[in-house]
Amino acid sequence: MSDKVLLSVEHVKTYFDVTKGPFSRKQIVKAVDDVSFTIKEGETYGLVGESGCGKSTLGRTLVQIYRATEGRICYKGRDISTLTQNDRKEFTREVQMIFQDPYASLNPRMTVGEIIKEPMEIHKILSTSREREERAAELLKTVGLKPDHIRRYPHEFSGGQRQRISIARTLALNPKFIICDEPISALDVSIQAQIINLLKEIQENMGISYLFVAHDLSMVNYISHRIGVMYLGHLVEEGDADEVYENPIHPYTKALLSAVPIPDPDKAREKKRIQLKGELPTPLNPPSGCPFKGRCPIATEACEETRPELKDYKGHKAACFRIQT
Amino acid sequence: MALLDVTNLSVDFQTDQGVVHAVRDISFQVGESEVVGIVGESGSGKSVTMYSVMGLLASNGDIKEGSVTFDGTEITRKAFPNQKAYEAAMSRIRGNDMSMIFQDPMTFLNPVIKIGKQVTEVIKNHNKISDAQAKEQAVSLMGQVGIPSPEQRFGQYPHEFSGGMRQRIIIAMALANNPKLIIADEPTTALDVTIQAQVLDLIKEMKEKLNSSVIMITHDLGVVASLCDRIIIMYGGKIVESGRAREIFYEPRHPYTMGLLRCVHNPEKKEKLMPIPGSPPDLLKPPAGCPFVDRCSKAMKICKVQMPKETVYSETHVCACWLEEAERRKGERHV
Repeated sequence: MSDKVLLSVEHVKTYFDVTKGPFSRKQIVKAVDDVSFTIKEGETYGLVGESGCGKSTLGRTLVQIYRATEGRICYKGRDISTLTQNDRKEFTREVQMIFQDPYASLNPRMTVGEIIKEPMEIHKILSTSREREERAAELLKTVGLKPDHIRRYPHEFSGGQRQRISIARTLALNPKFIICDEPISALDVSIQAQIINLLKEIQENMGISYLFVAHDLSMVNYISHRIGVMYLGHLVEEGDADEVYENPIHPYTKALLSAVPIPDPDKAREKKRIQLKGELPTPLNPPSGCPFKGRCPIATEACEETRPELKDYKGHKAACFRIQT
Repeated sequence: MALLDVTNLSVDFQTDQGVVHAVRDISFQVGESEVVGIVGESGSGKSVTMYSVMGLLASNGDIKEGSVTFDGTEITRKAFPNQKAYEAAMSRIRGNDMSMIFQDPMTFLNPVIKIGKQVTEVIKNHNKISDAQAKEQAVSLMGQVGIPSPEQRFGQYPHEFSGGMRQRIIIAMALANNPKLIIADEPTTALDVTIQAQVLDLIKEMKEKLNSSVIMITHDLGVVASLCDRIIIMYGGKIVESGRAREIFYEPRHPYTMGLLRCVHNPEKKEKLMPIPGSPPDLLKPPAGCPFVDRCSKAMKICKVQMPKETVYSETHVCACWLEEAERRKGERHV
């Protein structure tokens, strides 16, 4: 991991207009609301939060599947919304994405070889079809499949193997940055560990950065260097993976971590859980003040009025008025 | 006497590709007010086992062999003179003495019928009471499972409930007639961790209150660790190991159980994840020997051809693996 910043996200907001008809009241879903963070070269940034917190929307905004409503996303120091056509091509080659559902993200009518070769054809990597075929076979080996799988179709593979194929497809372009959107949540436990270790290995060999979006906190802690915790479109805590995991300071992170079941019967029975009242509120016209105030066990009047900013507490950031230093 | 006794159960499915041997010769018991976890990957046969207990197998599925006794009565099809008598007996048991909590609450609830009506239906099906009484019971039940303002919620439709709230409704329906046995099939897989914690607490609390037995089907070792007294590990349609929670977690004997425990990251231990290589066996052609043989690092010749015998470690701890047998023989030879 180097200290060079690869991607910086500055005050990004992604809003969706969901107003029903021309005469209805305007309704806006603030899926991502003023989020800033940076990812360094060769680093894994884990983004966690409950469903509906905006973590996937943020990931998709970074590859411009959704346009940011406000704010700046800089890749290698350049704003990605104002790239020239050539730079844009480079950006789309270097920034790749792995999706959650390996059953939906591979075209069932293409062979594995065609799936892996397609991005190379689009980006004109290697000149002949033969070279691409060889490269595809090589990539299959890299991800732990057999080169002769190249003529098979996706339905002949299990979920874990399909996820390996999607990883091979992204690697075909020699990417610098991969957004992994819940890449393991559709897989079985014994297969999850295989994929996580494969991603780690690839990072060590090729120096790729990851944005790892997931809701499984213990796996995120395992793979990430740094972790950001999202709640209702906001980043509420951020810091080193172990630091956030061992000494969470935001009340939401504390509650979230205390809810993670531990695979150890004695410890699990001793563990004190912080019970959260209610559920994640809707990001449709969210309330003012701290987004977490409704479920927070320590909220005061100050939390009603203004939204707390992300502040630094010795290299570990959190957005809460109630943190004592 | 055990509340539920499953002996030598085998379940087959007829498919276009051939016969799938989903469950192969398994036996286990569940005692009164005991919480048992059945852990396994997809395709290990854990759900199929419980569906056959409930008599809810898909039409192409069939109990090939074995018996299931519940509360001392045989409840497989063969114990009844005809299909009609069987169906009638099962619908008396289901939702009354034995009930099930499903994984996905949205597919379980009817989207066009009000929540209240769906809850009262369960109560009225098994009790001869008036509409007003049934409603009263349903509202109090909804309150007990933690639905805020249940009277108001009674008249709403499923889409107006969040995932966690829907799962609470499912639990309310499962508990409506004070069942002796609750079967929960991955009840929290579709939920977020904070909601999962709430739902697990609710199941624990209701279990204490009703003194029911619970069978928890899951793939999440974290969930069973805190909740279950006893754990059954299934793989490739077989039970490979079973024992008390502490025996399984602290003294695992089967290479698959050990592998599974190394696949989950315990942040307090900081160990490297050791995935199990390969993928589960194809149950169209189940292996003659141990189902885990192709992925096992300690596999021997005999593992491929013959299913291992069970080794008993304690009254509760049983494991089916040839390694133990080999160790024992080696020991005998040295003597």
